Amino acid sequence: MIPQFNYAFYIWSSYGLFAAIMVWQFLQPRIQRRKILAELREQEALKSGGYHDTGA
Amino acid sequence: MTFHRLKVAFHRLGSPPTFFRLTRLLPPWLWAGFAVTALIGLYLALYVVPPDYQQGDSFRILYIHVPAAWQALLSYVIMAVLAAIALVWRIRSVEIMAMACAPVGAALTALCLATGSLWGKPMWGTWWAWDARLTSMLVLLFLYLGIMGLYAAFEDRRKGARVACILVLVGLVNIPIIHFSVEWWTTLHQGSTIRFFGESRMHSSMLPPLVLMTIAIKLMFGAAMLNRAGNDLLDQDRRKKWVSRYLGGKP
Repeated sequence: MIPQFNYAFYIWSSYGLFAAIMVWQFLQPRIQRRKILAELREQEALKSGGYHDTGA
Repeated sequence: MTFHRLKVAFHRLGSPPTFFRLTRLLPPWLWAGFAVTALIGLYLALYVVPPDYQQGDSFRILYIHVPAAWQALLSYVIMAVLAAIALVWRIRSVEIMAMACAPVGAALTALCLATGSLWGKPMWGTWWAWDARLTSMLVLLFLYLGIMGLYAAFEDRRKGARVACILVLVGLVNIPIIHFSVEWWTTLHQGSTIRFFGESRMHSSMLPPLVLMTIAIKLMFGAAMLNRAGNDLLDQDRRKKWVSRYLGGKP
């Protein structure tokens, strides 16, 4: 049986907002962590002298 | 003996590498628990539960609005307890956890306000009213944003956390105001439907998705808060040896 979800805009908007906020709460710390780790690795490479600036 | 073990475990949590390991270990399980409970909860909320005899399908917004509201308040209480511990015992990991509660709590408060507004339009005929419950909830959102702003405003993160922790404790006064606003004042917002003590005014067939969504949002809060706390700790300790060891693959 295929569910029939003929709900109004108000209901779908609420559930959509819920989904968007949950996805953001999941993704945002991961993006932030990736950024911090990239900075830290760059810092470590600079310290050990193994840093190569590919843009130069 | 058990008390001693708990005391030792609590002290170990104060060690940054141990706390960092915890922030890496727990969130995947909490996120998995969230996904399972939320999926079952959403299925029940959208498909199984019958429409309300007065509100029709609009009442289904409750399954997002109420768990978000409960957790928005609980997040603040958790943040206040952590802030008090951080101020008294100066435990940095607790301080970091207190500060990590704010963005998640702010998101849940915003979700509660937005879904309340979306529910208010078809039920009350208005998106917003300056009534006691809605206004005090808006104040909660501003408090969360203020705490985040204050923490970010200081170059010395520990000083910023201490000042923000004081604001957290001052803002705690808003929590009973939110909770009792529907009893103290005549408001457009309805009174409590779910009671922990005494009989609930909600039909039992409508309760299971509410319980599941409430658990799901609590698990999400734990996971997101620990994710953020781990990031903050890593960022603060970027010059510490344990971070170098972690980067080298030796946690």
